[in-house]
Amino acid sequence: MTAKMKRTSEESQSRLPDNSALKQQQLPAYRLQLTATGVLSGFFATGVFCLGVGIILILSAKSIKEIEIKYTKICGNCAKLREDATNFDKECTCSIPFYLSETMQGNVYMYYKLYGFYQNLYRYILSRSNSQLLGTDLKDVGTCAPFSKSHDGTPIAPCGAIANSIFNDTIILSYNLNSSISIEVPMLRSGITWWTDKYVKFQNPRSKNLSIAFAGTTKPPSWVKSVYELDKEDPENNGFLNDDFIVWMRAAAFPTFKKLYRRLNRIQYFTEGLPAGNYSFNITYNFPVTRFRGEKSVVLSTLTWSGGSNLFLGLAYTVTGAVTWLASFSMMAIHLMLKDRKMFFIQQ
Amino acid sequence: MAKINNSGQRILRKKEKQVRYLQANSRELNSTFGYPNNTIKTSRYSVFNFLPLNLFEQFQRLANAYFLILLFLQLIPQISPLAWYTTVIPLMVVLSITAVKDAIDDVKRHQNDNHVNNRSVLVVMNGRIKEDKWMNIQVGDIIKLKNNQPVTADVLLLSSSEPYGLTYIETAELDGETNLKVKQSISVTSNLEDNLGLLSAFDGKVRCESPNNKLDKFTGILTFKGKNYTLDHDKLLLRGCIIRNTDWCYGLVIYTGPDTKLMQNCGKSTFKRTHMDHLLNVLVLWIFLFLGGMCFILAIGHGIWENKKGYYFQDFLPWEEYVSSSVVSAILTFWSYFIILNTMVPISLYVSVEIIRLGNSCYINWDRKMYYAPKNTPAQARTTTLNEELGQVKYVFSDKTGTLTQNIMIFNKCSINGIIYGCGYDKNGQKVKVSEETEKVDFSYNKLADPKFSFYDNTLVEAMKKGDHWVHLFFLSLSLCHTVMSEEKVEGKLVYQAQSPDEGALVTAARNFGFVFRSRTSETIMVVEMGETKVYQLLAILDFSNVRKRMSVIVRTPEDRVMLFCKGADTILCQLLHPSCRSLREVTMEHLDDFAFEGLRTLMVAYREVDNAFYQAWSKKHSEACLSLENREDKMSDVYGEMEKDLMLLGATAIEDKLQDGVPETITILNKAKIKIWVLTGDKQETAVNIAYACNIFEEEMDGIFIMEGKNDETVRQELRLARNKMKPESLLESDPVNTYLNTKPQMPFRIPEEVPNGNYGLIINGYSLAYALEGNLELELLRTVCMCKGVICCRMTPLQKAQVVELMKRYKQVVTLAIGDGANDVSMIKAAHIGVGITGQEGMQAMLNSDYAISQFRYLQRLLLVHGRWSYNRMCKFLSYFFYKNFAFTLMHFWYAFFSGFSAQTVYDTWFITFYNLVYTSLPVLSLSLFDQDVNETWSLRFPELYDPGQHNLYFNKKEFVKCLVRGIYSSFVLFFIPMRTIHNSMDSDGKEISDYQSFSLIVQTALLCVVTVQIALDTTYWTLISHIFTWGSLGFYFCILFLLYSDGLCLMFPNVFQFLGVARNTLNLPQMWLIIILSVVLCILPVIGYRFLKPLFWPADVDKIMNRIHLWTRHPLLPPTQTKLRHTRPRRSAYAFSHKQGFGALITSGKTMKDKQAVLAAHHPKGAGQGPQKAGLRPKPRGSGRRKALRVTRGTHRSEQLGRWASTAGPEDRTNAPSGGAAGGKARSDHRLRGCRGARTLPTRPERRGAPACPSCSTTPGGRETRPPAPQPPPAPSPPARSSPTVSSDCPCGDTPQLTRAQLYRCIHISFAGPERAQRPSSQPRDRGGGFRTASPSQAVGALCPFGPWFRSWYLPESG
Repeated sequence: MTAKMKRTSEESQSRLPDNSALKQQQLPAYRLQLTATGVLSGFFATGVFCLGVGIILILSAKSIKEIEIKYTKICGNCAKLREDATNFDKECTCSIPFYLSETMQGNVYMYYKLYGFYQNLYRYILSRSNSQLLGTDLKDVGTCAPFSKSHDGTPIAPCGAIANSIFNDTIILSYNLNSSISIEVPMLRSGITWWTDKYVKFQNPRSKNLSIAFAGTTKPPSWVKSVYELDKEDPENNGFLNDDFIVWMRAAAFPTFKKLYRRLNRIQYFTEGLPAGNYSFNITYNFPVTRFRGEKSVVLSTLTWSGGSNLFLGLAYTVTGAVTWLASFSMMAIHLMLKDRKMFFIQQ
Repeated sequence: MAKINNSGQRILRKKEKQVRYLQANSRELNSTFGYPNNTIKTSRYSVFNFLPLNLFEQFQRLANAYFLILLFLQLIPQISPLAWYTTVIPLMVVLSITAVKDAIDDVKRHQNDNHVNNRSVLVVMNGRIKEDKWMNIQVGDIIKLKNNQPVTADVLLLSSSEPYGLTYIETAELDGETNLKVKQSISVTSNLEDNLGLLSAFDGKVRCESPNNKLDKFTGILTFKGKNYTLDHDKLLLRGCIIRNTDWCYGLVIYTGPDTKLMQNCGKSTFKRTHMDHLLNVLVLWIFLFLGGMCFILAIGHGIWENKKGYYFQDFLPWEEYVSSSVVSAILTFWSYFIILNTMVPISLYVSVEIIRLGNSCYINWDRKMYYAPKNTPAQARTTTLNEELGQVKYVFSDKTGTLTQNIMIFNKCSINGIIYGCGYDKNGQKVKVSEETEKVDFSYNKLADPKFSFYDNTLVEAMKKGDHWVHLFFLSLSLCHTVMSEEKVEGKLVYQAQSPDEGALVTAARNFGFVFRSRTSETIMVVEMGETKVYQLLAILDFSNVRKRMSVIVRTPEDRVMLFCKGADTILCQLLHPSCRSLREVTMEHLDDFAFEGLRTLMVAYREVDNAFYQAWSKKHSEACLSLENREDKMSDVYGEMEKDLMLLGATAIEDKLQDGVPETITILNKAKIKIWVLTGDKQETAVNIAYACNIFEEEMDGIFIMEGKNDETVRQELRLARNKMKPESLLESDPVNTYLNTKPQMPFRIPEEVPNGNYGLIINGYSLAYALEGNLELELLRTVCMCKGVICCRMTPLQKAQVVELMKRYKQVVTLAIGDGANDVSMIKAAHIGVGITGQEGMQAMLNSDYAISQFRYLQRLLLVHGRWSYNRMCKFLSYFFYKNFAFTLMHFWYAFFSGFSAQTVYDTWFITFYNLVYTSLPVLSLSLFDQDVNETWSLRFPELYDPGQHNLYFNKKEFVKCLVRGIYSSFVLFFIPMRTIHNSMDSDGKEISDYQSFSLIVQTALLCVVTVQIALDTTYWTLISHIFTWGSLGFYFCILFLLYSDGLCLMFPNVFQFLGVARNTLNLPQMWLIIILSVVLCILPVIGYRFLKPLFWPADVDKIMNRIHLWTRHPLLPPTQTKLRHTRPRRSAYAFSHKQGFGALITSGKTMKDKQAVLAAHHPKGAGQGPQKAGLRPKPRGSGRRKALRVTRGTHRSEQLGRWASTAGPEDRTNAPSGGAAGGKARSDHRLRGCRGARTLPTRPERRGAPACPSCSTTPGGRETRPPAPQPPPAPSPPARSSPTVSSDCPCGDTPQLTRAQLYRCIHISFAGPERAQRPSSQPRDRGGGFRTASPSQAVGALCPFGPWFRSWYLPESG
C-alpha cells in the first residue's frame, strides 16, 4: 500500500485531460433547428422557384421545331432485304418526301434515332479497346470479344461489338426548290463530336498513309469498307478519327437514342435555317433493325439553351413547384391547427 | 453454493469426483499431474497467430465473410461485371483498420499480463530462499510471503511470524470486504516456523478437491509423517488477498494460475457485443434476402429479355459460346447482379462503426468533468465497442461498498453529557456547512494525532483542553473499548488495524482528541492520555455480537478502580442505563435523532464503575460460564448481562459512512431517466438498506417494500407471489397476457414483456433466499416480481450470485444492463452485464481491469450514461439510418437501370465511383455527423433525464427505422434515376450533340446522388461545427476534384482501359440540364423528409418531442429559468447496526494469540502489568506450568482453531456465536434447531437470518387485534436482564398506546421494542421491518395512522401472520 502511494506521488504529472474544445465536445457550432417558420417559408420559396423554372423550361422547349420521320416501315422493302445478311453487298435506297410547314430558324441539326437498340448492354459497352482507338497499339484487342480477331487471327481494327455495329445508313436531305429542281441541303459532318473525343481519345496510328498504318489488321466483319476508307471525300475524316465513327462509339445510355448525324451548313438558301417547303430524305438503307424489332428514324431539330424538345424537365419542375406550394399551405394549416396542442405540451 | 444453479451443480459434482494430489517440494511428482503454472493470460493473440486468428475472427463477421465470397465471385470473369478492385480496396482498408485496432488492444493486455506474471516472489528451494517470478511458481512449491504482499497463488498456510501460525489477510480483491481476516495454519506445520531446512524438507502430501470457484470452501487432507490432517478453507490463502499485520508467512502452493479461486471466479472473458451489433447482423441478413430477391427478379428479367430481344440482337452481340440458352444466361446474370448490388451491404459499415465508437470512447477519456482530481484519474473507456449501449441502459446493478459509499467511516459528531459537538457553528451561531474551505480543528497539541483526521468544531477541543471530566471519560472509553490493534513501526506513527472501519474511526477520533490508544497486550492497554502514558489492565472483553449489539471492556485503571466501558446500539444501551441518567438520556436521544436525520451511524457510550468485590464475584461466574460445556452461550450472555447494567450514560457518537459525493443526486437523476438501480452487495441487509435510503434508491414515499427471506422454495415463492399480488394483482391471474404468453411459448429464448405495477415499490432479498429464487422454476417468478420494483436490494450476495442475477435479467429481458462495482467480488457481475463499469477505488484493480469503462466516482455514471451514452447512441442511430439510406439510394439505381439495359448487369456508375463512394465521397460527412453531432447540449441532457428514454426502447434505430430507410432509399433512387433518364432523353447540349450517352448519364446520376446524400446529411446534422462544414462540403468539393482527376486526359491516356471516362466531366458539367436535374432531385428527395419531420411531432408527439420543444423554447427565450431539481431530504433513520460486520476480535485479544512476545517490552513499560497476570487466571484458565501448558495447548489449540476458523470465515456471525464450541449435546441440539431448514448454510456465506415470524413479540399482534402480551411497561430503573422469557419495554415506549407520537419517539419505540430480549432468540438486524411490533386493535388502520412505513408494512406483515 505504502509502496503504491509512493508510486502515485511520484507520478506527479496530472492526467487531467486537455481543455480543448474538441476534446470537451464544446466546439463552437451552429445549431440547426427546423422551426415552423423556417420550414414553411422554405417550402414556399422552393415552390415558387420550381414553378418559375418549370414555366421557363416549358416555354423554351415549346419554341423548338422538330421533325422526326421513322423510316423503317416506309423503306419496308429495304428493311426486308437487310434481314438477310447475305445481301450485304446489295445497295438499297429509299426516298422519303416530307413538307416543312414552318421555317426552322437558326442552326438545324440532323439526327438518326434508333429504337430498341441496346447500346448499353454490359458486354456490348465493354467490347471495345480504348488503347487501340488511341492508335498506339492496333493489336491491343483486349476486351473486344467477340469481335477481337477475325477467323484467321488477325486483329480487327477497330475491334469490338460497338465498332462492328456502326450505323451505316447514308442520309441525304434534299430541298425541292420547286417541283423539278431539288438541291441537296448543305450539311456539315464536322463538329458533331466532343472535342475531347476527336482530339484526345481517338487517334489514328501515326503514319502518312492510313492504309499502311492499318496493315496487319482487318476490318470488322459487318463493315463493307475498311476503317481508313470511311470518307472518300475528306481524307482527314478517316480511320479512327471519322466523326460518324466517333459519334457511334460514344455508347448511348438507353435503348432508344438519337445521335447527331449532320448539321446544317448555313449557306445559300439556308442562312436563316431550313426554309419551309418540300424536302426529301434520300436514304441508303444499310443498317438492319427489323431483325431485333427496332426502328430507325431521322430527326431534324433546332435548339435552345435548355437542350432539345424535351418537355419533361419543365413539367417536372412545374409539378414539383405546385405540389410543394400545396404542401406548404396544408402544412401551415396543420401547424396552426395543432399549435395550441403543442403549446399545451410545452407548458406542461 | 451447490444450490445456486443446477447446471453449475452438475458440473461441480462432476468435478468433485476428481481429486488433486500434490506433494510439497516435489516438482517431479507434481509435474506428472500436469498442473498449469502460475501464468495468467488474458491476451488473445501472439505474434505468430495474430494474422490468421485475427483474420479468422474478422471473417466471422457476416459482412466481411460476405465480401470475401464476393471477391471470389468477382474473380470469375464470366459473371463479374465489376473490376476486382471495387471490392478488394475497401475490404483491405476495412480489414487493416480493424486489425491494427485489435493489435493495439492486445498489446495492452500483454503488458498487463507481463506485469503481473513478472512480479517477484520468494520461493524456498533446497533450504534456501530464491527470488522467482510469479509465473514460475508451480504446484507444490513453498513460497514466502511478506507483509503487504499480494498472495501469489492459492497457498496452504504452513507457518507465519505470528504465534499459532496466525496470518492476517485482507480479502478486498476477492470479496470486497476490507476488514481483516485471520487464517491459521495447522499446528504441525506452524511448528516449521521459518526454519528453511525444515521447510524444504517438508514433504507433506496433500489430497484436495480440484479447482473450483467457491471462495469459502476447501477440503483436503494433508498427510505428513504418516498422519492425516484435515484441511479447510481457513488454512488457505487465496490469490488476490493481501497479507497484513504479519511479517512473513510460508505457504504451500495448491492451485496456480488459471486454477486459482480468483481466476476461477473471474469467469470467461467473453467478447461483448452490443444490441446494435446483433441488430446489424439481423439487418445484414435481411439485406441478403432482399438482395437475393432482387437478383432473382433481375435474373428472370434477363432470361425473358434474352429470349425476346437478346436472341435477335445477336447480329450485333452474339452470345458467349458457353451460353446455350437464355436460362444459362439468366443464371449467370443472377450472380452478376449479386456482385453489382453488393453495396447494399455497406462494406465500410463495420469499420465506420468502429471508428465512431473509438471516437466516442476518446471523448469519455478526454472528459474533464469525469476526471477525479484527488486520485488523478480520468475516466477510461477500456473497450471501444459498447458506446451506444451506454445510451440504452435500463438496469444498473451496483455494488455498495466502495461504489455507493467511500468505505470510509468518519467520526463526525458526538454528544457528550448532553452537549452536542461537531456541528460547526460560526460566530453568529449559524450552522456552518462543511466544505473544503472550512477551517479544520488544530490538533497540533497532540503529537500522536492522525494528520488525516479532520474535525470542524473547536468547542470539543477546547473542552478537551479545559479538562472537562465527561469529555475525557468519553474519549477514554473510546480509546479502551474496542478490539483495534495498533502497529507502531516508526515511533509516533500509529497505524490501526481495525476489524471494521467504524471502530477504526472511533479509536482514531479518540486518538486525535488526546486519548491515544498506543498498544495492547492480552492483559493491558496502553493509552497516552493528553500526553501522559497510562496502562490499563484489561480484565475482560465482553465481546460484540450481532445479538448483543454492544461490547464492553472491564479494565482496572492505574488508580486501581475497576471500570466497565460499554458502547453499543442506543436501542439496547438505553435499557441498561442507570435510572439516574434518565434526563441525560432524553437529551442524548434527541441528539441521536438529529444524527440519524443526517444518516449517521450512531453508537451510545456508557460506563460503570464496579466495586472490586462485585467484580471478583462476577469474574468467578464468568470463568465458570466460560468453562461450561452446556449452554455456554446462554450462560455467557447471562453473565454479561449481570455486568452490563446500571450503566452511566456518557454520550453518543455519530459516524458517517461516507457516501461518495453526489450519489443520491446521481441516483435521483438516473431514476428520472427510468433507469432502475439495484444494489447487489455482500454486505448485511441492514447496512445495505440504510445506504439504499441514504442514496435515494428507496424513498420514503414508496408504496411498499417487500422483504424476501424465505428459507425454502415454497416460502420464497409465496413471498414473491404476495409481492406481485400487491403490485399488480392481475398478474397472478391465468388471463394475464404474460401468463398466457408463458404458457403458450415455453421454448427459449423468450422475452418477458415489461409489466407496470400500480405504484412505487422496493424489494429486499438476501442471497440465501435468492439461491432458491434463482432455481429454474422460480426464476421467472422472481424476475417478474423484481422487475416491477423500482429499487431492489440484494444483500449477502456471493460474487457468483451477482453474476447470476445479471444473467437472469439478460436472459429474459430485452434490456441493457450495466454493472458497476469496485472490488474483485464484482468482477463476475461486471463481466456478465452488457456493460461493466469499474470504479477505480481503493479495493484493488481487479474490477477496473475487467471492466469496460472505468470511472473513479459513482456520480460520473450519470455523465457517462446521460451525456456520453446518449450522444453515442443518438449518433450511432443517426449514422446507421443515414448509412443504410445512402447505400440503398446508391445501389438500387442499378436495379432501375436493369430494366433499360436488358438486365445485362450493366452498372449505372463508373467503377471508380463504386469503389470510392463509401470509402471516400460519403465517409467523412457521416463521420463528422457521428463524432460531433449533439441534438441537445450536455446541460440539457442532464437537466432532462427523460431524454434518455428513446435509447432504452431503442426508438431511433430499430427494424422499423430500417424499413423507413429502405423506403426512403427506394424513393430516392427512383427519383435519382428517372429524373435524369427522362431529362436526357431527346435532349442535347448547346452544340446540338446528344447528351444521352452512357458516360454522361453516369456522371449526371452519380453527381445528383452525391448532392442528394450530402444535403440529406446536412439536414441530419444539428450541430454544425467548423469541422462538419469542412467535412460535408469539403467531401462534395473533393468529389469534383477527384472527378476531374479520374476523367483527366493524362490518367485516361496512361490507362485507357481502366479510366474510360475521358473528358466526360468537362463536357457534361457545363450542361444546364445537369444542374437542373440536381436541383430537382435534391428538392424531390429532401422536401418530403423535411415535411415528415415537421409533421411527425405534430401528429404523433412523443415525450421527447415535448421536451425538445421546451428546450428550443428556452434556448430562444433564455429568460425562462430552468427549475433546479432539488433533492428531497430524507427522513431520519436511526441506524441500529453497531460497529462491526463480524464478531469482534475480543476472544482473540484476550487469548493472547495475537500478541507477539511483547510482554518483555511491556514489562519494561509497566512492570506491574506482567505481575498481574495470575490475577486473571480466574478469568481465563491459563495453566502456567510448562508441562501442563503444553498438554493443554493441544486441546485448546484445536478448540481455538475451530473457533477461529468459524470466526474468520465469511459464514454468518450469529451461527458462530451460537454454534456449540464444544461437543456438548445441548449446544448441538440448539445448533441443530437453529440451522433447521437452512439448507444453504453450509454452502452460502450468508447469515441465515430467521425472519419467518414477526420478530418483535414484545409489541406483536395478531390480525385479530388482541395483544399477545400485557402492555405494562416496566419501570426503567430495572433494566431487565436479558432473560429470555420476560419481554421488556421501557416506559417511554408508547408502543401502540398513544397515537400522538413524535417521530423520534416512534423510532425509539421501534428500536426498543425489537431490541427486546426476544431478539436473542429471533435475531434480526433490520429495524425497518419491525414496524410490526406495534400492537393495535386494527392493524392495518392503526398502522396506517401510526407507522410511517405505512402500506409497505402491511404488505409484508399481514399476509405473513395471516
